[in-house]
Amino acid sequence: MMIKVMKETPLIVAEDKCHDPYLRCAFYGAAQTVMGVSGSCTLAHSPQGCYLLAERAFEWQNEDYTKTEILCTKLCEDEIVFGGENILTRTILDASSLKNPIMFVLSACGPEIVGDNISAVCENVSDKVHFRLLPIECAGFRGTQYDGIDIALDSILKNFALDKSKKRINSVCIIAPHANANPTWMADLTWVKNVLFEIGVDVITTLTHRTSLNEIADISAAEKSIVLSHDAGQKAATYLAKEFDVEQICHNVPLPIGLTNTRRWLTELGKTFNARHVVENLIPKGENMVVDQCRRKWIELYSISRLSTAIVADATVGIPLVRFITEDLELIPELVYLRSSKNVAGAIIENELQQLDLKPKVVYHTDVYQTRKSLVEIEPNIVIGSNIEKHAIEGLNTHYIFQLISPIQRFRMINREYFGYTGILNLLESIQNEVWDKYRSKETRYKARW
Amino acid sequence: MKSGTSIGQKKQDTKLGGKMRQIAIYGKGGIGKSTVSSNLCMALRKRGLRVMQVGCDPKRDSTRILTGGRLIPTVLETYRENLRKGRDEYAITLREIVYEGSNGVYCVESGGPEPGIGCAGRGVLTAIRILRNLGAFKTYNLDVVIYDVLGDVVCGGFAQPIRQGFAKEIYLLCSGAFMSIYAANNIAKGIRRLTQRGNTGLGGVICNSAGDQELETRVLTDFASRLGTKLIQFIPRSPVIQVCEVENKTVLEHSPDSIEAKAFQELAKNILNNDAPIIPNPIENLVELESMYRNHIMNRTNKTN
Repeated sequence: MMIKVMKETPLIVAEDKCHDPYLRCAFYGAAQTVMGVSGSCTLAHSPQGCYLLAERAFEWQNEDYTKTEILCTKLCEDEIVFGGENILTRTILDASSLKNPIMFVLSACGPEIVGDNISAVCENVSDKVHFRLLPIECAGFRGTQYDGIDIALDSILKNFALDKSKKRINSVCIIAPHANANPTWMADLTWVKNVLFEIGVDVITTLTHRTSLNEIADISAAEKSIVLSHDAGQKAATYLAKEFDVEQICHNVPLPIGLTNTRRWLTELGKTFNARHVVENLIPKGENMVVDQCRRKWIELYSISRLSTAIVADATVGIPLVRFITEDLELIPELVYLRSSKNVAGAIIENELQQLDLKPKVVYHTDVYQTRKSLVEIEPNIVIGSNIEKHAIEGLNTHYIFQLISPIQRFRMINREYFGYTGILNLLESIQNEVWDKYRSKETRYKARW
Repeated sequence: MKSGTSIGQKKQDTKLGGKMRQIAIYGKGGIGKSTVSSNLCMALRKRGLRVMQVGCDPKRDSTRILTGGRLIPTVLETYRENLRKGRDEYAITLREIVYEGSNGVYCVESGGPEPGIGCAGRGVLTAIRILRNLGAFKTYNLDVVIYDVLGDVVCGGFAQPIRQGFAKEIYLLCSGAFMSIYAANNIAKGIRRLTQRGNTGLGGVICNSAGDQELETRVLTDFASRLGTKLIQFIPRSPVIQVCEVENKTVLEHSPDSIEAKAFQELAKNILNNDAPIIPNPIENLVELESMYRNHIMNRTNKTN
C-alpha cells in the first residue's frame, strides 16, 4: 500500500550528544555498598544482566565468597508483563535456609518500571525468614553508581543505625571508602585506619567495607565522620550530622594524595582530635621517607617536568592529583576532567585552582566522548587517567599516559594506596614505569609480556 | 456454531485479492472504540470477508458484544497458565485463544496484568507476537484484522501494533467534544513518529457522535483536513446502539434496518475503499487547536442568533 505524504513533515533530529559514560548505573553503586556488609546476602531483583553487575560489585569489595551470597530473580518477559512480585516472594522463601544475618533486596530498572513493590513483598515475608530484609530501590535509571552508593547508604542508615545517646570519645566513622577509583582502594582505607590508630582515634564503623550490622547500629556513637570520597557519601555524612550529631571533618580539603594534601589532611585530624604532637611527628617522618626513597632510587622524572597534562579521573583521586602534579611533579594541568559532578567537589577544586593560580579547563561529569574530543583539541603531552584514555589518545601527539585510575591494564597483586606517604611513592613508581615503557616500542612491550 | 465458542483452523480464499488489511482503532478512553470496532467487524463480515478483532486491552471487554456478552479467555491468561505448567508460549494452540463470535467473526483478547502491576503495553506486544508466531492470520486466511487499542497512546507499549508493523492503517475515533479531539491530536503525534519509520499511515477520522451533528461534522472535517486526511464516517448518537450494547449484540444483528446499521455498513465500505493512508500533520500548538474549535463554536452561535 502506498503512503502519501500530504504535507512536509519535520524530520526528527536527535539533539542529544553522543554519550559514552565512564560510570556504571545506580544499581551497581548500591550493590557495591551492600556487598561491604559482612556476611550479607544480596538478592538482585533483576534480569540476569544486572546480576553480573552485582558480581562485579562483589569483586570491588573483595568480599569473602564463603560468607557472601548473591542471588537473582532472573526476570524474564513474563515478569515484566505480569509483575515480578511472586517470583521475588518465592526466591526469598527459597533462600530462607541461608545463615546470613541480612538480605538486601535490590531492584533493577525493569521491576521498578512495571511497579513491583519490593518493600511490600519484604514486609509480607519477613516473618517467614530468620534473616533481616532490607529492600533498596536502586534502579539503574536513578543515576550513576555514585548515586547508587548514596541511595544504599541512606537505606542502611535509616534502617540499621540506632540512636546511641552516649558518644565514644575520640571515635570516628568512615564513609564511602569504596567510592574511589584507585583500583586497589582498600589500601587507602587501611592507611586512613592506621593513621587514626596512631593518633588514638577509634574507628567505630566503615560504611561500607567488611562492616558488621552491629557496627552499623553503633554508628551514632561516633563523634566525627570522615567521607573518603569526593564523589559519594556526602548525603550520609549530612544525615549523620543532622540525626545523630556526628560532626563531619576534613570535608573542605582534598583527600591526602601528595605532600601538601597529606600534610593538610593530617594537620586537620590532629587539630580535631587534639593530637597535634602525634601528627607533627608523622608528617616529617613521612616526608623524609619519601625524599629519601626518591634519592636512593634515582627517580628520573625530570624528563617530564613542565609538560602540559590532562587529568581524567573520578573526583576522589582527580582533585588531589591537581596539587600533587603541580607541586610535586612540576607538571602543568591543562585539562581536569572529572567523572562526577558533586557540588562539594566543585567547591574544593575551585578553591584549589585559585590557591595554585591555575586555569585549566575543568569539566564535571565527563564521558569518554567528551574526553576524547578535548584530548584531540588540546593534545596534552601527558594524560593521567585509565586504560580508557590509553585508547583515547591513539593517534594523538600525546607522549605519556599514566594509568592510575580504574580500569587499569596493570596487574596488582598487592593493594597499593594513593593516600599518604607510601601513596606518593606508589604513584611515583607507576609514573616512572610508564615513562620507561615509553622508550619501548609496542612490539617490544608485547614480546616482553608474552 | 454458537457465539463465543472456540473454533478449529479452516482455510478459505480471501476476498481482497490476497491482501490482508490490518486496521487499528485509536481514540480517547470511553469514546466507543470497542463498540465501533465490533460493529465494523460485523459489517465487514456481512460483506463476506473473513474478519478478526483483536482486543488490545487488559480489561478484555473489546469483543464482548461479538461473543454474546461472554468474556473470552485471553492470550496472556493462556500463556501464563502454560508457564505455570512448565510449558512455553509454543505450547499454546490457536484453538485456545481464537474464538468465533457471532456470524463467524474471529475474536481474540490480548488481556494483561492485574491493575497496578506489570506492564500492560508489553503484554499487548507479547500477545500479538504469540498470534503472529502461531500464524493466526494465515491459518484463518483473514481479509481484515482490526486492533482495538486501549485508550490513548499511553506509553510505547500501546504503540506496539503500529511499531511492530501489524497495523497498517490507523483510524482515529473521536466525538465533537474538545478533549476527544485533543486526545486524537496527541495520538496523531504518536502516529507521525511511528509512521515515519514504516509502511503505516493514518487512514482517517471517524466521528462517534455525542449528539451535536452539525458542529461535530464541521469541526471534525476541519480537524481531519488539518491532519491531512478526511472524515471517513459519521456514526450518529442513538439509543439503538446503547440498547444493542446492553443486549450484547452488534447493531447489524439487533437492528439491521436501522440508520445506525447503515452508518456502520457505510463505514465498512469507506474503509475498504480507502487505500491512501497518510503520515499525519498534527496540530502542534494547543492554542491553535483551541482556536480552531472556538471558531466553529462561534460560527454556530452567530448562525443561531
